[in-house]
Amino acid sequence: MVINSDQDIVTARQRGRALAIEVGFSTGDATLIATAISELARNIVSYARKGEISLKQVHASSRQGILIVASDDGPGIRDIRQAMRDGFSTSGSLGLGLPGVRRLMDEFEIASEPGRGTTVKVKKWKQ
Amino acid sequence: MKNATKRKTQPAATFEEEYRSGLSEYALRGGEAALGRAYALGRRAISEKMSLIELASLHHQALHRMLADARGALRNRELLTAGCDFLAETLSPYEMAHRGVQDAIAALRQLNETLEEEIKRIAYAVHDEAGQLLVAVHLALADLARELPEHQKAEVGRIEKLLNQVEKQLRRYSHELRPTVLDDLGWVPAIRLLAEGVSKRANLRIQVKTTIAGRLAGPLEIALYRIVQEALTNAARHAKASQVRIQIERKNRLLCCTIEDDGVGFDAREVQSDGKRRGLGLIGMQERLSAIGGTLSIKSAPGRGTKLLIQLATENSNANSHRAR
Repeated sequence: MVINSDQDIVTARQRGRALAIEVGFSTGDATLIATAISELARNIVSYARKGEISLKQVHASSRQGILIVASDDGPGIRDIRQAMRDGFSTSGSLGLGLPGVRRLMDEFEIASEPGRGTTVKVKKWKQ
Repeated sequence: MKNATKRKTQPAATFEEEYRSGLSEYALRGGEAALGRAYALGRRAISEKMSLIELASLHHQALHRMLADARGALRNRELLTAGCDFLAETLSPYEMAHRGVQDAIAALRQLNETLEEEIKRIAYAVHDEAGQLLVAVHLALADLARELPEHQKAEVGRIEKLLNQVEKQLRRYSHELRPTVLDDLGWVPAIRLLAEGVSKRANLRIQVKTTIAGRLAGPLEIALYRIVQEALTNAARHAKASQVRIQIERKNRLLCCTIEDDGVGFDAREVQSDGKRRGLGLIGMQERLSAIGGTLSIKSAPGRGTKLLIQLATENSNANSHRAR
């Protein structure tokens, strides 16, 4: 789904939470999944203005999980290390932003090139 | 001071209003938009440095007010459930930050261990390996000297003297990085030696009094040594002390180490919160100690010297029965 406005973020959160509950996550984990979606959407809106978030249920052997892909065609992240670095400067705390998403989820992948947008893929498995 | 307080309470008041309006929106109509607001409020609370306790009490007050105003429009149980969901959502950014801090602490402790190993390796290389090379150079020079005419032998003698200085210097560097005595004889003799060195270098009288002997586990000895090292550096560099007294004693299971100087002193609370080098030094000592289960108390005031008390529970013979339980 397209992420372009606050309303879109609300929709993405809602779908993510609903899917998480459907997959069998606890309400607490569903909250963390909604939070990760917000952080990813926030990133899209502030750096690329618009982008997309897709949600999917995934299986691996006996595990159930959720896959979130956030992508945009924005300017891309020139310095991925900078973006992944825990900092206090913008958020007022260590651990928010993309590093925070990495810690809320079990798997994290980021691909970005200047001028070619950014794609972040994250998965969380049901315990 | 007055202005600072004012500036701080101003946004907190609007935060409270926002929180109350978000919570009541969610309680009345539910919906993801209100939960999204809760998440944004959590992020804002972090950036405004609101503590979790403050947030919890703010939530409690907001809920309390709504319960008083509800007049049957909402049943209490619904309101409480809604309040719980809303609070959890507000806390989720704190959860992220909390995990970040946990990871950072674990990484720092790991890093500290790695650094300590690395220091040990470098100290060994400087002392032993470079030392052996120097011995080889000495031998080669002696061989050379035998073949030289008498008037040139003095030249070789001068080179040998320089080499001896190099050797002495290397031994000192190695010792400062990590004294072998720390590994060989333990932290108390290592501290005695350290005190001797600092005393000479900084022109400081340092008295070490101790009644204890015996070794502790490696990580404990290293941590204690590094803390005393930092304390002595502070006494020499910042406190402008002329005298330091170190006392190490055992009180039952408790190992107590007091480091007291007669320097300029400082406002302990102010220094620890200013985030500068010296404040970080004290925090570093404290963190090092809490990593091994010890505590540090700092007593200081401007013009009245500084007293550090390190306490660490260790197993002794009495404690063995305790452990066996």
